[in-house]
Amino acid sequence: MKFISIAVKDFKELVRDKRGLFFILLFPIFFMMIFGFAFGGMGQENTPHNIAIVNYDEGATILTGENFNFGNNLTNQIKESTYSNSDVKLFNVTETTESQADSLLKQRTVDAELIIPSNFSASMASQIANSSGLTANINSTVSSPIIRGDEGYSNFFASESALSTVMTGYQSGIVNGFKNQLAGTPGAEPVKYVNITVQGISGTQSFTQFDFLAPGMMVFAILLLATTIAAILTREVESGTLERLKMSKMRSFDLLFGGLIPWSLVAGAQVVILLIVAVLLGLHWQGGINSVILATIIGIIGGVASIALAMIIASFAKNDRQAANLGTLIVVPISFLVGAFFPLPQVFITVLGHSFQIYELIPWTHTLNALRGVLLYGEGLNAVAFQIELSLILTVILFIIGVFLYSRTRLRADN
Amino acid sequence: MDYMIEAIDLTKKFDDLTAVDGLNIKIRKGEVFGFLGPNGAGKTTSIRMMVGLLKPTSGTILIDGKDIKQTEKGKIGICPQELMLWEHLTCKESLSLMADMYEVPKDVKNQRIDGLLKDLFLTDKADTVVSNLSGGMKRRLNLALSVVHEPDVVVLDEPSEGLDPQSRRVLWNYIRSMRDVQGKTVILTTHLMDEADSLSDRIGIVDHGKLIRLDTPENLKKEIGEGDIVDIKLSDPSKNLELITELEKIEDIISVVETDSRINIRALDAVSKLPQIMKLVEESDLRVDDLSVRQNTLEDVFIDLTGTGLRE
Repeated sequence: MKFISIAVKDFKELVRDKRGLFFILLFPIFFMMIFGFAFGGMGQENTPHNIAIVNYDEGATILTGENFNFGNNLTNQIKESTYSNSDVKLFNVTETTESQADSLLKQRTVDAELIIPSNFSASMASQIANSSGLTANINSTVSSPIIRGDEGYSNFFASESALSTVMTGYQSGIVNGFKNQLAGTPGAEPVKYVNITVQGISGTQSFTQFDFLAPGMMVFAILLLATTIAAILTREVESGTLERLKMSKMRSFDLLFGGLIPWSLVAGAQVVILLIVAVLLGLHWQGGINSVILATIIGIIGGVASIALAMIIASFAKNDRQAANLGTLIVVPISFLVGAFFPLPQVFITVLGHSFQIYELIPWTHTLNALRGVLLYGEGLNAVAFQIELSLILTVILFIIGVFLYSRTRLRADN
Repeated sequence: MDYMIEAIDLTKKFDDLTAVDGLNIKIRKGEVFGFLGPNGAGKTTSIRMMVGLLKPTSGTILIDGKDIKQTEKGKIGICPQELMLWEHLTCKESLSLMADMYEVPKDVKNQRIDGLLKDLFLTDKADTVVSNLSGGMKRRLNLALSVVHEPDVVVLDEPSEGLDPQSRRVLWNYIRSMRDVQGKTVILTTHLMDEADSLSDRIGIVDHGKLIRLDTPENLKKEIGEGDIVDIKLSDPSKNLELITELEKIEDIISVVETDSRINIRALDAVSKLPQIMKLVEESDLRVDDLSVRQNTLEDVFIDLTGTGLRE
């Protein structure tokens, strides 16, 4: 059982090499924390939208004969609005001038700017009169409030849609209120024929961008493992210890299988440690203890793929520094390709009539898909079996290539 | 005579460089064989081929009468010139790993490791991580790792390189005990003449990939010339050649050579020749800065055979 001795040796080397350990454990944790702070919302799911309001409204005389400024009234309504079932305010309002509001918008201090026109009250008065059937002595006035913002900024769309909802509600609420006041009875709600319900995927209602990034970080960490292992494998050549082992009765199998055990366990440990960190940072984790076990297994398969990649790198690198550099050069682009940081545009290729995404040829793409399914949506083995199978098949192919190259370049007697 | 290693017409070419050129050598069982040669003479290349780490371009290697390809892997232990150590393992862990790799039975493993640590004065450092060992300790561990499986043949490639005199003593005693107590065949490459002289039963001198002489150290010294060496340093070395021409005329002088701006005169009973030599010096109107008489050493033999040109 020589591979066990090799496994014990590799495990000791891995644990005692503080620099390598830092790279594969602390570095991804550091990344996870950065992303957690940047995109996680840090436990507060509902944050007020920052908006500026520019009110030009001059007011109007309404049916009751009094002069009323609807613009001021709307502004107050917006300030008072809260998230449903929550006392968190929907908006953080700055009342200001148009030029000041524009400059705040450019600095992204506010996400959107609402401009209430001077004839806003007049138009509201017209609408009330209209809906009350008292149109005879009133001119119809139409006003156009403006919601202004940076259309390339995701926060703008969120603020804009929240503002539109509040304004539509305000308009119909005010009109109905006056109508009822005039008629003396509450009017009947109009009959709805189409009732649209917006439904989130189970569990995603409170998702933040961090939830999608966290499994990506795990895959990034597993990929970084390839860099460290490539350096260890190259060091074995450089320090001559591989030569020493080659002279002994050790077979290639003992060396490679012996290494596989501790290194793939590290990949599993990375998944668990990063999951704990991510949950502490506000990951909306679903699935319980079974999902942790399943995720660990998925991580281990991903780890084996990284070991295969490490063998390929170690076949070409001349020393451990070169291996680490070459490793980083390969691992970082792969992390982007598998979508660890953000999804890439779809690129389809067709082979033998089958069309598939080019990224699906990379084993870690399936590691990531499976991890997301298990940890974010609480999916069981059945649901992710296909992803696991694909990652297994691709890992086996990569491993065969790795063993072939490493054996050819490093394990034979020199010529 | 039983031979442990036979190299027959061994040749190794690297592109246009012939590192080993038709080497024929027979190493006896139970001897310490010294492999001598200047840097780049082909010693390490020959050794690497003889233990199966390097494929020869042509030629045959027999280990204990069998082709090297059929030789069991644990038969040879090689202690390389460079340190080949796991920096993050302790001495004991390293030895245990290599014992496992050579399938040393569990029941003898620990005893053997303890014995090796004791013989090479590493017992105190048994649980110290290699990166914290001194240079001499690392060298001794390097040797221990090569013999933990008790091979029949031990190859030591420049084992004393960078060792302090204490460590060297420990090493030499251990090499002698390998031959005398354990009956092993030891092959030693070195360019330290005193090491080769005091340890080897036979010495092979290689240069330019060829074996140029093979004999016992005593015979080699005799062959080059018995007797002693008179070593003279003139205050004006440019007059060396002039004096050499004169000295060659003295009767019973075996040879006069110039090495390192000094004149070496070899003669039987050199002390009795001293008055004649001094007379010649005075007649030539030369001044002597330094003069000594010493015994013929292996170094003289080596320089005589391989010349004084630098090889690096």
